[in-house]
Amino acid sequence: MADAAPNPFDPKKLRLQQDYLGSAGVKKLLTRVPARKPSKQEWFRTHPDPAYRMDMGVIELKEDDAIYAVSAGLQADLLDLMVPVTIYTTVTRQGGVLLWPVRLPGEDGKNNDAWVASHEAAERATEAWMRLQWNMALRAYDMFEATGILHEPAWPDVTFEQLLEIGFQGRIIDKPDHLVIKKLRGEA
Amino acid sequence: MTNDPLSHFREIWLVDFEFRPHDGQEGSLPDAVCLVAHEVRSGKTIKLRCHEMGDLPPYPTDESVLFVAYYASAEIGCHLALGWPVPARILDLYVEHRNQTNGLSHAAGLVDALAFHSLDHMGAHEKHSMRDLILAGGPWSEEQWTTILDYCEEDTLALARLLPAMLPAIDLPRALLRGRYMAAAACMEHNGVPIDTQTFDRIKKHREAIKTRLIERIDADYSVYEGTSFRRQRFAAWLQERGIPWPHDDRGHLRLDDETFRQMERAYPEIAPLRQLRAFLGENRSSPLPVGADGRNRVLISAFGSRTGRNQPSSVRAVFHRPAWNRSLIKPQPGWGIAYIDWSQQEVGIAAALSGDSAMQQAYTSGDPYLEFGKQAGAIPSDGTKKTHKAERDRFKACVLAVQYGMQAESLAANIGCPVIEARELLRLHRETYPKFWAWSEAAVDHALLLGELQTVFGWTIRVGADANPRSLANFPMQANGAEMLRLACAMATEEGIRVCAPVHDAVLIEAPLDMLDQHAARMQAIMAEASRIVLDGFVLRTDVEIVRSPDRYMDERGEKMWDELMRLIAEVETEREADDLPAPATPLLGQVPTDSAGPSITLSI
Repeated sequence: MADAAPNPFDPKKLRLQQDYLGSAGVKKLLTRVPARKPSKQEWFRTHPDPAYRMDMGVIELKEDDAIYAVSAGLQADLLDLMVPVTIYTTVTRQGGVLLWPVRLPGEDGKNNDAWVASHEAAERATEAWMRLQWNMALRAYDMFEATGILHEPAWPDVTFEQLLEIGFQGRIIDKPDHLVIKKLRGEA
Repeated sequence: MTNDPLSHFREIWLVDFEFRPHDGQEGSLPDAVCLVAHEVRSGKTIKLRCHEMGDLPPYPTDESVLFVAYYASAEIGCHLALGWPVPARILDLYVEHRNQTNGLSHAAGLVDALAFHSLDHMGAHEKHSMRDLILAGGPWSEEQWTTILDYCEEDTLALARLLPAMLPAIDLPRALLRGRYMAAAACMEHNGVPIDTQTFDRIKKHREAIKTRLIERIDADYSVYEGTSFRRQRFAAWLQERGIPWPHDDRGHLRLDDETFRQMERAYPEIAPLRQLRAFLGENRSSPLPVGADGRNRVLISAFGSRTGRNQPSSVRAVFHRPAWNRSLIKPQPGWGIAYIDWSQQEVGIAAALSGDSAMQQAYTSGDPYLEFGKQAGAIPSDGTKKTHKAERDRFKACVLAVQYGMQAESLAANIGCPVIEARELLRLHRETYPKFWAWSEAAVDHALLLGELQTVFGWTIRVGADANPRSLANFPMQANGAEMLRLACAMATEEGIRVCAPVHDAVLIEAPLDMLDQHAARMQAIMAEASRIVLDGFVLRTDVEIVRSPDRYMDERGEKMWDELMRLIAEVETEREADDLPAPATPLLGQVPTDSAGPSITLSI
């Protein structure tokens, strides 16, 4: 005879787990992180951890509507083409993850109100849901803060370095004869 | 024999009954015609004719004996009708075949199960002539008896082939739990639902007159009927006149099924009376409500009939599944009362408990998960109530229900009559408020699609075939574990001697003598709480109870207006007939049932 007779009158002992989160070993992969600013309709939050932001040089190629990251070693040679930005890790209310580049003053110290307002919004967005909308009449950003939304954003479970890797995959200028540089210099 | 999962049992009896409803009347208790039982180990076979059946079964029924049948509630129903004890350990090969093929195939007859296992199914085919012979009732000649017993034995022999083939894939402890429910199902089918047969007779008697007057009265606002025929073109004109957008089928015709009416009724309540009328006229064309000689509506509960394992009784034969006004026919017998007890927001509670989403659990335990959802989402202030924020609560409620059924924004918008963007926002708020639930729900679908199946806490399984529907799979844990909860509660209650008349989705109807009604209702609530605690691993669901004492009748508010209208029309017709002293016309569409209210079939006064 086997160990114990099956007893349908003790259902507690028959209960099977319903924890699907671990059972099939499924994990959502972050495969796309656009490098752009939030649109005028998007509410956003920025990562409060300073490790999730970084100052760097980028080049915007208008014809491709794409932003390229410039390797640190090349920045001194490309001062005329690149612009300095702070990259903020940003999440929209729809759950999209962005790398938001906000202009920093150039070598000449030139600054403008829009850049300042963007940095201010990025700072505020570490604690509240924000939205930025360009006001043509004022030639400045209108800044909106959501007061009734209490939910904290779900931040991606990856490092900032991994976000940069995903966001700038194929768009890192790491050599002086990069095709983007050639194009901008009229050499290609 | 240690590898033999049945080694615990000293005897294994394969049992099959042939039976017919008492006096041949549908809805009556079964009369056992014959029994063939075969004991696997000894090879002993017992064949009994009805007059040979004694006060006790010819086999033991204690926990050391396994009772095996195919659709065991029928066999247990015969036990109950004979006054025999219910076997303590039941293995139902129908239920297990359903569980092994659920989602892949719906064919679940004995022949289908044999064919599925590549077993000889000659002899197990349904023989209509034999069924007719049995249903006709006796007396049977000696030759006919031999034929009937042989026919019964064929099914027992089929069980002998099927059991070893199915056994390796049967999870025996949980299979016995399912067998336990088949005994409860038999008890509930045995009890049936008490029906006010006098009023039922009056409705049948005056059905034709009511029908015409109902059309006249209700169609006055629509003008879509021509005589008794619903005219699609007239309906189209009525819709156009009011600017109501109505769904069309692939051929461009207006959809006229009840589900479309039900959906549209939510956004356009003016459609409701027309829908009720159509349902009333439609049901007259289908089978009548089977009411036994003792005034009880008895139908096959069809345990494990749906993919989720929920019961699936006939929508025209079970009083609780017919249009809502039919529920007013339910009336406790004199000196008795009934209690309708249902779990409050069962599916929300299950989702909250099994997903472990604490915000959703908090919403459930607040007592009003829809209002609480609105508060958690920041749309309703913390001191808002069902009264002060009714419109907002209704929207959040619609959203919760939409999520349960996997609805998209477009359908939700149609249901609550709002722009799609608003519906989309509601759905987004749900995702945002209950992120753990969504992660769990999506993981359940991933689990199903990756591993090919999903299981309830007690092993009811949905297999994922080529036609996998992620929305159904996402809803499976709530529906199927809700079914487990109901089954467990019904089993516990019937075993305690509570008279459960019927299971109704996430509710039960019980009855008791008036002096014990409150006590039994309270006990049933405690049992339902315990069943939820077991299924949800400690999380307890609330129940609501509605008590009706004789001579009152049960009333569902959704059908109240229609019922009142029917009663008024019947009274009118009766007054006129009395004045004219004319006999009532015959009712050919319900020809099975004598039209004379003094006839033998439904005359039992209650």
